[in-house]
Formats: sequence, structure tokens, C-alpha cells
Amino acid sequence: MRVIEAGQLTKYYGKARGIVDVSFHVDEGEIFGFIGPNGAGKSTTIRLFLSLIYPTSGSATIFGRDCVKHGPELRQEIGYLPSEVFYYERMKVIDLLRYSASFYRKDCTQRLHELAEWMELELNRRIEDLSYGNKKKVGIVQGLLHQPKLLFLDEPTAGLDPLMQRKFFQLIQEENQRGATVFFSSHILGEVQRMCNRVGIIKEGQIIEVADIRTLQQRNYKKVMLEAGGLDAAYFDIPGVTNLESHNGTLRFFYNGDVNALMHKIGTVTLSNVTIEEPTLEEIFMHYYE
Amino acid sequence: MNIFVHELTANLKSLLIWGVIVILFVVVGTSKFSAYYENPDMLAILDAMPPALLDAFNMQAFNLTTLSGFFGLMFTYYALMLSIAAAMWGSDVISKEERDKTVEFSLTLPVPRSRVVTAKSLAALVNCIGLLLITWGISLATATPYQPDGEFYTFVALCMLALFIMQVIFLSIGIFLGCALKQYKRASSAALSVLLATYFISIVSSLNQDLEFLNYVSPFKYFDAGVLLRESRLDGTFVVLSLAIIGISMAGAYVAYTRRDLYI
Repeated sequence: MRVIEAGQLTKYYGKARGIVDVSFHVDEGEIFGFIGPNGAGKSTTIRLFLSLIYPTSGSATIFGRDCVKHGPELRQEIGYLPSEVFYYERMKVIDLLRYSASFYRKDCTQRLHELAEWMELELNRRIEDLSYGNKKKVGIVQGLLHQPKLLFLDEPTAGLDPLMQRKFFQLIQEENQRGATVFFSSHILGEVQRMCNRVGIIKEGQIIEVADIRTLQQRNYKKVMLEAGGLDAAYFDIPGVTNLESHNGTLRFFYNGDVNALMHKIGTVTLSNVTIEEPTLEEIFMHYYE
Repeated sequence: MNIFVHELTANLKSLLIWGVIVILFVVVGTSKFSAYYENPDMLAILDAMPPALLDAFNMQAFNLTTLSGFFGLMFTYYALMLSIAAAMWGSDVISKEERDKTVEFSLTLPVPRSRVVTAKSLAALVNCIGLLLITWGISLATATPYQPDGEFYTFVALCMLALFIMQVIFLSIGIFLGCALKQYKRASSAALSVLLATYFISIVSSLNQDLEFLNYVSPFKYFDAGVLLRESRLDGTFVVLSLAIIGISMAGAYVAYTRRDLYI
């Protein structure tokens, strides 16, 4: 079943571009990564799905229903963690979480306390006294306490220390195993690589690629490092080689093409060391943005 | 219901502050009245003043040496204070979510925006009623030493009804502006501008007989305390006009807020 579907979704803020003709879909049970630099339109897309803003044209549907028409009903099953969390400053954490829980039809009390314990959240402090990271923890508990079927995470790890990030990822993976679909927006590729099945890449308001994360890594590029005395960089400047760098007898480059041609070339020189690996998503990603 | 209760708690402090302001104002005002009370010299002084000046301060219609007369004079200031409070609450109650950036929380909860407007408007209305009751209570309490008669109580009750209508007018205008203006910073200043503009129109129209049509423009002229004292009833035309303004403002608020993008 398609949980999220965008059909030529377009949003202009007056004349300013938000997103243009964005189309993609996310299936049930997926963790879908949404990658792009700041200002590419990631938050705009999420806000359209949450009907905080309305599309200029195109459609946004969740569970097969229109986000604008059925927004309130759909949000019963949606959890949202914004990139920056803002809550009523004067409230205590526990009061805010109970307030949030009161909007959902199910009883969230038990889950609320489980989550707070897991995230090591102090429930009796006032929101205004919390650090940025602690506010983010409130956001995580608030976004998950009703056990939503769909999660929107907008750059969720900003402000969390590495330990908390790990706990958070564990939590998201558990939610996913429980059956929740996750829409994970980020510009940190490492975490997307670790978490997601598929990714959409957005640039200047337009989707430039939607692909399985493995094919994205495997399809194109190999990252090659060669070590030998007196290697000539120009010797390896063959079709398919990019980003060729030579440093103290070490050659590094990316290769895109027939691997046999590359291996043949490498076979003709005497090496002291060699590695050929899958590039990280980060390295692939940079190609899209160059 | 949860939004309504949350708003009430959040607004309580503001109500208390306004309550203290009104109480201080009434107490200080009434202490001045002790100098006028049944004082023939005061009447002579007032008679000697130019009528235009008295008109400007809405003092023409009243005999300031009587309790009802003095209250009638104070009515204008009560109206101004209560209207300002109502306009500020109205313009603030919705737009503050955008100002404090809490919309990404409160409007991603499973509630329709229309319900947010309803709950918040009702909470602000309760605040208005609270302030009105404070005004009413303190007015009667400070009048007690002068042994008011039944007529005075009826007059004050009528004035309170008029004040309530004015509060709701400015509340609904404030709510409309808070809902419609995407730039939340402008909502409360716009609401106060409307209020002050209509107040000055009310002064101008009392100075000049030819400008009486302006009475329809300014809610401060809808219910004149002098008329209330003489006729002991609200003017039906202006009640209808008031209800129309309230209805249109609220309808506009719902339409605007459910259709526009939230400012994040």
C-alpha cells in the first residue's frame, strides 16, 4: 500500500520557489530518506503533507486520502518531529506531553512514560529551562507517544548527542519493525545510509533522483586507492575516471564504467597497496550537487 | 475542550493584570467623585466651562454630582479600557502560536483549524467576561458608600451590557485580524489602530453635529451612556449593527484561517 504519494506537488511562496513538480511515493513499512541541502525544499514538502501550508498545485495524499481535505483525521496516525522544536515555554514537560496525548483517541499514558524513560527525559522541568537537546527529546516523545503509523522526521538528530542519536535510531527502527512507515529528511548522509531503504534526492525544489539506496551506491561509482612508487597520474586518466588526485605516490579516484577495463589497467603496474570500495552516499551525493 | 482549558490557563495572568488596572482606575476615579458628590460648587464650575470642551470629554450629558451621572462619565473610559483588552486578546490568541513558533506543534495535532479558532475565541471571550465582571463588581463596591438606589443598579447593568457588546466587537475584530494577517506582528498593532481610529472618530463626531453619520463607524458611539441613562434601553439599530460586525468578523476569521498558509 502506498502510504505517502506526491503527484506533481508544487508550492510557491508568492514568487519564491518552494518545490516544483515533486512526485514520489513511499510504501508501507519503508524508511524513506529525503536528502538535500538546506533550502532545497525538504521542510516545505513535509509541511505540505501536514497541511500546515497548502499546495499551489498538484496533490499530496497519505493513506490514499487527500492531505488538505482529510488533514485532521489523517494526523491521528501521523507523528511529526520538526527540525527545530518549539513548545509552550511556561508548561512543564509532563503537562505538555499529556496535553498532546489528549488529542489522540487512544490512551497514550503508558507509551509516554516508556519513551520518556528511554530518552532519559526529566518530566517535571519547565520547557523554558530545557537545553536545545532536551527540547528535542521532548519532541521525540511527543511525536511518538501515540504510536503513529507514519512518522515525519525533519533533520531529527540535530542537537542530540551521539549516545542519544543512537538511542533515537534504535527507537525509530523499533517503530519501523512494529509497522510504522518513516519519512526521514536529512542532509547528513551517513544516517540516511544507515537507516533508509530508498532515498529521494531533492535539489532546488526538484526531485533529481529516487532510488534504492543499494543501487545508488553500486550502480555507478567505485572508489579506488592505489599506492606505488613513481605512479603517473596521467596513466590512469582513462574514460570513466573522475576526481583524480595524486599525493605522495598515492592515487585516489572514482571510476564509473566497465570494471574489467580498470582491472586490466591496474594489472599493468606494480603496486604496494590497493583498495577498491563502494563510495559512501556522501561521495555520490556530491556528484549531484557539483 | 483541551485547547480551551489550555488557553484559559495561559491567559489567566493577562486577565489578572487587566483586572488590577481596572480596579485601580475605578478606585482612583471614585475617590475623585467624593469631591463632586452633592457639591453645588462643582456644578457651578462645570456650568462655566465651554460646552465644546465638555462634549469632547463626554461630560455634557451628565450631572456629575450624582452617582449615575459620574458613572456615565466614567463609562467612556471603561469602554476604552475593556475594548483595548478585548482587541489585544483577540489579535493575540491565534497569532501568538505563529509568533512563538508553536504552530508546528499545535497545528500538527489532529484538530481542524476551525476548532482551534472556536476554542481560542471562546477562551478569549471568557477573559472578556471575567474582566467585565471585575469592572461591574468594583463599580458597585465603590458605589456602596453613597447608598445607590435601584435605578443606579439598573443603569450600571445596562452599561455593562453595552460594554460587553463593545468588548465582543473588538474581540472579534482582533480575532479576524489575527487569523487573516499572515504577518503576526501586525495583528495586534492593526487591531489597536482600528480601535484608536474609531475612538477618535467618536470624539470628532461628538464635536460636530454634521458628522453624526460617523456614529455608525465608531462602536464607541453605538451605546452612549447619556442615552442609556435617559432611555434605559439599548438602541436596537446599533445592537443589530454590532451583531453584524461580530458575525462578519468571525466568519472572516474562520474562512481566512482555514485557507491560508501558516507562517513558520
